[in-house]
Amino acid sequence: MIEVRDLQKNYNGVTVVNIPSLLVQKGETIGLVGNNGAGKTTFFRMILDLIRPTQGQVFSKGENVRSNEDWKQYTGSHLDEGFLIDFLTPEEYFSFIGKLNGLTSGDVQAFLERFRDFFNGEILEQRKYIRDFSKGNQKKVGVAAAVMSDPELLILDEPFANLDPSSQIRLKNLLKDLKAQGMTMLISSHDLNHVIEVCDRIVLLEKGKVVEDMKTNETTLQQLESYFTV
Amino acid sequence: MIKLLLSHQWKEASRSSVWQKNLAVNLVLGFFMLIMLLYVVLIGFFMNELVQALKPGSNTVEMVNRALLYYFLTDLGLRFFMQELPVLGIQPYLHLPVGKGKLVHFVLWKSITSLFNFLPLLMFIPFAVRMLPEVYGTGGTWMWVLGMFLITLVNNFLTLYFKRQLVEKPLVTVGFLLVVVALATLDYLNFISVGAASGIFFHALGANMGWVAVPLVAFVAIYLLNYRFLIAHTYPEEMRVRKQSSIGESAEIGFLQRFGELGTLIGLELKLIMRHKRSKSTTMLSIVFLAYGFLFYTNKMYTDGFAMLIFPGIFMTGFMMMSYGQFVPGWQSAHFDALLTKRLSPYTFYLGKFWMFVPACAFAYLVTLLYGFMPTIGGKIMAINTACFLYNIGVNTFVVLFMSTYNKKRIDLSKSASFNWQGVGASQFIMMLPTLIIPILIYLPFGLMENPWWGIAAIGLLGVLGFIFHRQLLGVVVKRFQREKYAIAAGFRQS
Repeated sequence: MIEVRDLQKNYNGVTVVNIPSLLVQKGETIGLVGNNGAGKTTFFRMILDLIRPTQGQVFSKGENVRSNEDWKQYTGSHLDEGFLIDFLTPEEYFSFIGKLNGLTSGDVQAFLERFRDFFNGEILEQRKYIRDFSKGNQKKVGVAAAVMSDPELLILDEPFANLDPSSQIRLKNLLKDLKAQGMTMLISSHDLNHVIEVCDRIVLLEKGKVVEDMKTNETTLQQLESYFTV
Repeated sequence: MIKLLLSHQWKEASRSSVWQKNLAVNLVLGFFMLIMLLYVVLIGFFMNELVQALKPGSNTVEMVNRALLYYFLTDLGLRFFMQELPVLGIQPYLHLPVGKGKLVHFVLWKSITSLFNFLPLLMFIPFAVRMLPEVYGTGGTWMWVLGMFLITLVNNFLTLYFKRQLVEKPLVTVGFLLVVVALATLDYLNFISVGAASGIFFHALGANMGWVAVPLVAFVAIYLLNYRFLIAHTYPEEMRVRKQSSIGESAEIGFLQRFGELGTLIGLELKLIMRHKRSKSTTMLSIVFLAYGFLFYTNKMYTDGFAMLIFPGIFMTGFMMMSYGQFVPGWQSAHFDALLTKRLSPYTFYLGKFWMFVPACAFAYLVTLLYGFMPTIGGKIMAINTACFLYNIGVNTFVVLFMSTYNKKRIDLSKSASFNWQGVGASQFIMMLPTLIIPILIYLPFGLMENPWWGIAAIGLLGVLGFIFHRQLLGVVVKRFQREKYAIAAGFRQS
């Protein structure tokens, strides 16, 4: 699904991402972990063609993401508030995204119905613009919009951050459901428990390099904890 | 403590990204600012000559005294709309062991540094030094200036107080405004004379030193009023002057839905314009500029020729597009990443902009057709404006869109509109030139060959051709955009 070749990004001579090769199979769910500054977000931005790599390429379904825009058709993503249109209400935002994806307003309604639990009554019919919501609720809007088009590939940057415990568990269940449907996922997180539960492969980044790439099993959490213990 | 706070303020100003990145723009703006200040000083210095030119033989000092109260009322009105409240800056200090009283004093003193408070000094000190000593003597002159400055400060704090009350108790502010309007009406109907009162008071200020106590007491009173109000409201959510964000009509504009994806994009952009102060005032301003033509059309020197009519034609039918378009796509910098990753091609994105500009120009054009009612030159104006309109939608739209790919400066729409130079870069200045000059250059050879109407036709024809081939022209813009988008996105991400 995703293939990374010789990917590098330098800022003023400092290499922030350096991944010689990484292959993501269709249906795989990958958890990206690493401390602040490890290059997780920069890596995601290069997959989404938001940053020009210093060298190397990212291929999505065999096509360089920079050469055409077909990847937009099957990729859903939410990295930060920059992905939200903050002067719209959540309803308007969902209907905007729905229209870009060719959904009718009925489709959008049906989709939002599925998210009623996740939203916990705090998102819809609030008569507020997205900019006036809390960080946690903004994240819910962004994640829901990313999932809306039933994408084949889902990219989320720290989806668990800022969410309350119940919402974290709901999101975890949601992601597991999507995984069962065969959606390919790339998720970064600082919450080792959650990410191990959702993902079947963990990639550990340090200073832009992949230092660990493993299938999830019973000992993964221990391994990661020992890595992160100072 | 105050010193430390001041040094933080200085750092905030000198380290703000807008200031550092736009050094060139700031220099240009600083230059204009200096010229403006120079004008103010000159007006003050030559006040006598100005008054004599307007009303020969009158007593200048008396005239100025009579006008001053009107001046201060106008000043108050202007401040009400334009002056910012320096309040939120203290938010990061509220949880620290600093006395609230100190912070409030700091905020209040900081508001004095507003340019509004120094303009009158620049104007009235030269006037006072030149004209007043012979009437009031040196002491009286300086008392007059001091009184003037104190009243300016009273205005400053009145604005702060009533602007804040607008949120807390709107009726107080409305009442205050009503009193001002009532005074103005009574004056207009000759029941009372603000001018006479003004004359008596300011004359007394110069003639008798004791009178300075009046503005002094007013100043202390309004300062204490502000202080007491603020100290009771040192909670960020209460200090913020912000209307309760009410959700307007969120129904989609049905008409736009018929145009599918394009309609959706234009609908989004219209919401952006309506829901932010800066974009709204930009659009409103361009409506005001539709009256620009009167400057040219009433002058026979211009209306006899053609070249000087092309200029207002382009300007009026295109100003709405240009004033908004010069910041495209910066308006959308806050959600630019979304536009790049959602299912939306850059071509559609730009096509949406194009189809937003065309109706904007068409609207402006239809309004300018009203100039056609002007006797004798009406027909000529209509013909030229038609050509200019066609040129705007066929050529200038693409110039504006092409220049938009040079916009890499973030615009934070949550910031207020007036005096906000965020997102202004060199490209805005450069862009205005070709949009206005090229049509005149096209006309010029025909004009020199004594075939002015052919020149006008050429301008219109180019516009029609550009409009027919808009897909190809948009392709060129999109190609450049594809190359530049990383740099644009990176620029928009930096706040």
